[in-house]
Amino acid sequence: MKELICVEGLKKGFGGQMVLTNVNFSVAQGDVIAVIGPSGAGKSTMLRCLIHLEKVDGGTITVEGKPFVKNGVYESPAQIKQITSRMGMVFQSFNLFPHLSVRKNLTMPAMLANGQTKEQAEKRAEELLAKVGLRDKIDMMPSTLSGGQQQRVAIARALMMDPDIILFDEPTSALDPQLTAEVLEVMRQLAAAKMTMLVVTHEMTFAREAANKILFMCDGEIAEAGDPKQIFSAPKDSRLAEFLRGIK
Amino acid sequence: MNWSDILTTTSALMQGMGVVLILFFAVLVMSIPLGFLLTLCTRSRFAPLRWIVNAYIYVIRGTPLMLQLFFIYFGLPTLGEPFVTIFFDAMTCALTGFALNYAAYFAEIFRGGLLAIDKGQYEACQVLGLNKWQTTTRVILPQMIRVTLPSITNESITLIKDTALVFSISIPEILHYAKVAVSRTGSVYPYAIAFVVYLVLNTILQFVFKQLEKKTAY
Repeated sequence: MKELICVEGLKKGFGGQMVLTNVNFSVAQGDVIAVIGPSGAGKSTMLRCLIHLEKVDGGTITVEGKPFVKNGVYESPAQIKQITSRMGMVFQSFNLFPHLSVRKNLTMPAMLANGQTKEQAEKRAEELLAKVGLRDKIDMMPSTLSGGQQQRVAIARALMMDPDIILFDEPTSALDPQLTAEVLEVMRQLAAAKMTMLVVTHEMTFAREAANKILFMCDGEIAEAGDPKQIFSAPKDSRLAEFLRGIK
Repeated sequence: MNWSDILTTTSALMQGMGVVLILFFAVLVMSIPLGFLLTLCTRSRFAPLRWIVNAYIYVIRGTPLMLQLFFIYFGLPTLGEPFVTIFFDAMTCALTGFALNYAAYFAEIFRGGLLAIDKGQYEACQVLGLNKWQTTTRVILPQMIRVTLPSITNESITLIKDTALVFSISIPEILHYAKVAVSRTGSVYPYAIAFVVYLVLNTILQFVFKQLEKKTAY
């Protein structure tokens, strides 16, 4: 499978405190990777570095063969933007635009940043909202939707840009179990449709069932990587074994 | 006092209405964009620009508007050209003074408005590929206006009342005509009518802004 993302020697600190000490992994096309680990392990920071919401202190991030940061040295802003535009992101707190209707949340960025015409964007918005089960909410304002519905709109908005990979930063952590289930259902559908996804999550059932690969992060590095079966039933790293015992 | 006296005095006071309305609208139109520009300057990466604009806001907010008007109208022309020509007309002085003054207050209001906007909104814009201009005009500004609308209403009410200050640089407005009417009639009721005129203006203003708040609610 084609390699979409390659991360080598990623380092990142905040105020002298190293959050990522040495992160290495790669994502192939069609991969559904769940990133698990204790709080403060650096999972979200790692994801944010991948899409340039945080600046790395060292390491190389390559997207579809093109590095936008090489050994800690960044390419030009235009090139970074071009390279990272192949990725979409879904946030824990949804981050929908509260002053715009669901329709405009989807069409505005697609028209402004992705060059879609109004007709194309509208048609695509309707299709994607139907896909996440919210076709009837198209003219609602985000504040009138439940958290789960807002997150599904956020997923549809990310899909509007036709990304090659979507990064999910704890997409269900702000939701109650019922709403979590509806969001995970949409993510399962995406996984089944071979969408490449990198998901930071505390939902172990989702990680076990929907992911084809698990990254266990601890102390700023990937302590163990493997397929779900091996990770959950035969952990090698003692910290992973302890983490799994703790969540059972 | 009878109805015809009230009518005569009210219509006399109305001669000052034009000045009040011109000042009000012109100052709002000038100071709101200028205020936003100042806010952007206080967030600039270029430190000297930040210092200059912060010092400007500090001085303007820390000194009386009447002093600023006197400085422009009576003070600057003593420095000779080009001030003599530019600030010859009292209305020009009033508009300049008010716009510069209110811009400083609006800058602070907008600064608060921007602080109220969640960091996640900027991040969402970035990952969706919107550039800085698109982020500011399509996402940040509309939300900032919504957040700051109550404060803008407040500032506008103050502005209507502050227009009475131009009386001090000899521009005839409502207060001027009220004072003339008091001298002429030897009675207090022209002042009472002036109270009512300002109240009516502010009632209309508050109604309009309330509608605007409802319209921009989300």
